[in-house]
Amino acid sequence: MIRTERIVSDVTVVSAGIAFAAGLVLLGVKLKSVQVDSAAAYNLEKSRQSTRLVQTAAPRGRILDRAGRVLAENRRAFSIVLFPETFQRKTLEGTVSAITGALSAVSRTIGADIPASVSDVERIRRHLVRSQALPYRVLRDVDESAVARLFEHGDELPGFGCVEEYERRYPGGSLAAHVIGYVGREEADGVTGDEKINFREKELAGRSGMEACCDAYLRGVSGERRLTVDARGFMVREEELRPAIQGPDIVLTLDAALQRAVERQLAGRRGACVVMDAKDGAVLALASAPAYDLNSFVPYLTHDRYFALTNSADRPLVNRATASAYAPGSTFKPITALAALAAGADPEEKYLCCGFFEYGTMTLSCSRRWGHGELDMVEALRDSCNPYFAELGMMAGTNLLFETARKFGLGSRTGIDFQIDAAGLVPDGQASAGRQWWPGELAHMAIGQDRLLATPLQMAVVAGALGTGRLATPRINSATKPRLRPLQVPVEHLEIVREGMRRVVGRNGTGSAGAEGVKAFVIGKTGTAEVGSHANRRKNTWFIAYARANEESGARARASKAEVAVAMVVENGESGGHTTAPRVAAVLREVFN
Amino acid sequence: MLSKLSRFSWTMFAATLLLIACGTIAIKSAGAARADAVFHTMWKSNLWTAAVGLALYFALAFADYRKIVKWCAMPAYVVAVAMLAAVLAFGTSRFGGRRWLWFFQPSEVAKLCVIALVARLASSSRLPLGLVKERFSGFALLSLVVALPIALILLEPDLGTALVLVPAVVMVFFTGGVWRTGLVALLSAGAVSVALVLGAVHEAEKPGVAPERREAILRFVPLREHQVRRVKVFLFPDEDIHDSGYTLRQAKISIGSGGLSGKGIGKGESNHLKYLPQAISMNDFIFCVWAEETGFIGSAALIALFALVILPGVFVAYRAEDGTGRLLALGLTTLFFAHVFINIAMSLGLVPITGLPLPFISSGRTFLVTMMASLGMVQSVSIYGGSSAVQEYPQNNERT
Repeated sequence: MIRTERIVSDVTVVSAGIAFAAGLVLLGVKLKSVQVDSAAAYNLEKSRQSTRLVQTAAPRGRILDRAGRVLAENRRAFSIVLFPETFQRKTLEGTVSAITGALSAVSRTIGADIPASVSDVERIRRHLVRSQALPYRVLRDVDESAVARLFEHGDELPGFGCVEEYERRYPGGSLAAHVIGYVGREEADGVTGDEKINFREKELAGRSGMEACCDAYLRGVSGERRLTVDARGFMVREEELRPAIQGPDIVLTLDAALQRAVERQLAGRRGACVVMDAKDGAVLALASAPAYDLNSFVPYLTHDRYFALTNSADRPLVNRATASAYAPGSTFKPITALAALAAGADPEEKYLCCGFFEYGTMTLSCSRRWGHGELDMVEALRDSCNPYFAELGMMAGTNLLFETARKFGLGSRTGIDFQIDAAGLVPDGQASAGRQWWPGELAHMAIGQDRLLATPLQMAVVAGALGTGRLATPRINSATKPRLRPLQVPVEHLEIVREGMRRVVGRNGTGSAGAEGVKAFVIGKTGTAEVGSHANRRKNTWFIAYARANEESGARARASKAEVAVAMVVENGESGGHTTAPRVAAVLREVFN
Repeated sequence: MLSKLSRFSWTMFAATLLLIACGTIAIKSAGAARADAVFHTMWKSNLWTAAVGLALYFALAFADYRKIVKWCAMPAYVVAVAMLAAVLAFGTSRFGGRRWLWFFQPSEVAKLCVIALVARLASSSRLPLGLVKERFSGFALLSLVVALPIALILLEPDLGTALVLVPAVVMVFFTGGVWRTGLVALLSAGAVSVALVLGAVHEAEKPGVAPERREAILRFVPLREHQVRRVKVFLFPDEDIHDSGYTLRQAKISIGSGGLSGKGIGKGESNHLKYLPQAISMNDFIFCVWAEETGFIGSAALIALFALVILPGVFVAYRAEDGTGRLLALGLTTLFFAHVFINIAMSLGLVPITGLPLPFISSGRTFLVTMMASLGMVQSVSIYGGSSAVQEYPQNNERT
């Protein structure tokens, strides 16, 4: 009995030993499958949970004028940021209140007010929930003394730091503001198409002008930074994987000096002016007045400044040169003349101007109340005689008139490589809104009123086409290829119109001030478009001109065989000849003398 | 004395020292990740505790266990039960359980006392009150001895410590010949009910089960809600990885990312980036820290060291001529094995998560001293209970 008991006991002990050994071997086998066979998978899972990729913003490229003068560039700016990991508490609410407390402390220390939006509890909470691995921005673009104070008090203010960023700088201030445009911060953060990227630094985004047109080009290549985060999502360390590369520069066709001269001419007025190289369509100056200081958008546009800009009656944000369509007024008359010539009108036939034009009950008066007397086409252009051109327009008819206008690119976009390119308006030849044009309406349109609308840019193209016989596609980025199309108008017709336009700037011409002192061959046309109701009648005064260097011109203009087309509109002027022509002459003197 | 030293299990002793060294390193690593500076120097206090434990180890190893068990088992048991009761009355709560009496955990000491007493009773031919151990009545008496401290431990509550006693006690009962047929039946019934519970939870928690049906099934399962969740995590480890499955998933990521050779000591990311829950990285899940930092090589070496403690322990039991010595050595070795196996297996997801420390590696002073003491007693059995020792014993006695 005892013997059997001993055997049973022995067997139990031995089995226990075997079982224990088997248990340990089982652990070893499982351990091998986890640590050796699946190591790669677990490492991947670990890195997925503990690393975050940040796409870092690249500095934007610069914007230069044709001579390499800087119009927009980057400057280093310091932002004060807060590192959330320093303030972590057991609960989210604890961390939020620790951060709010620290914010008011830092505000006292460096003596700068922290915007209410930054110390907003809801915003801090959102930052912690969505991107607590990233620093939280407290003050953007602070001056260096604030940074110095922050570092002096670094011991009392743990968890704050300074990051260097790039902000936009516009050395010219408001110079060419509408061409250059402004930038803003991207709205979206943390959202990318690339699934590997967890966070994205907000980049500057072009909002208008060339900053917007060439945004993708200017932006450059963003970099990549890897953060290691702990279980609660706070950053533990970071390393740069790929530095950001600054975007390439763009060179504009603008001439900063000429642009400045043009803007000087428009100062204090509402209006716009485009100066275009008639040879290749390069825009040398494009101004809209009044303008605004581009630097006021940096680092961000405050609400006050935004409302001041948008509520101003002057509408400074509107680019009048490309976005505003005006009635072209008498500057349209060369086109009416060409339409009539195409219809077989005899340019030498005399017409008697009695000071008005009547059709049925409609009366259209001439600029000279007592009439011009007898005149032919060249004289009519010189004197800008309304009845003469009303008569020509009636003769040509709507179809031909509008078709000729379209040949000059009116009524459609110019095709400029710019963000805004209004088409203006040339009505449909046959009918608009399902009805025939009244002959009276046609007479008004023949002198550039009624339905016709054109932008200053379009009128510059028209001026260039009248001068060269080729229709240029304007361009503002020097990288864009020039494009010129021959004008589908007989040269002999053009010569007649040019002669008329040469007389405009000659002695006794309506636009004689338009070539005053300009050492170049100039042709031009004035325009005074009446707009608004009777009570609120205003005149938008035009002058368009084409000029090319001759032997009197300055050396530079002669050497480059300069040929420019100019269109300028000044709102609420007196007349094209008095208000606008002298200003254009000043611009032309800048180019040629 | 020389013959005693020759019967002393040097293998087991060396493995023990190495395990303490590994444990100190792991505690240093795990503690460094904690924000509270108290934990940074925990490894030092572990060394001091180990020194105290080592003194106790030698004292027990070179004292005759037969005398100790004969004179001390019963009083120690009574004291342990009294302390367990005192814990429930005056103890300190930490980590969701009232387990501490000032700085030590009576439940750890109680394990040793229970096994010592059970070993003594199960090896004696006569039980008190004239009960016979081969019968149910004897079994019932012994079960009561075990059940009283287990009940008190469950009240703390500390399910892991209570459960880990069961295999050791069963082993002692079975080897000691306590109501074997009944025991086999009970064990089979236990296995069947565990299978039934697992099956029921699986049925209730598998994806796409309506809440009403889940309720209906779980009404028949004798588990509390958090226990059901643990079993669920064990059955479906890939679900709920941000909630109840978080710990297991992080444990596996930690172990798995160690790879073959590990991240290097002190460089475990799961621990340092606090992905492993901080409250348990020094205790129940310290194996993950060790496994990540030393890789498969280190963790397999650790298991080998455990084997060098466990298998000599079983050998001591096998060699012991005296029934008490055999049961004592086997019971304590089984207790040690149960700790090692359950702890590592739960870290690997082989068994549901139960709060149990890993001997010599986890921090915990009472536990370390208890484990040293119990291995000291195994050494005592090795010295005094071996077949040769029994023959020599009278001679030694005569000499002294």
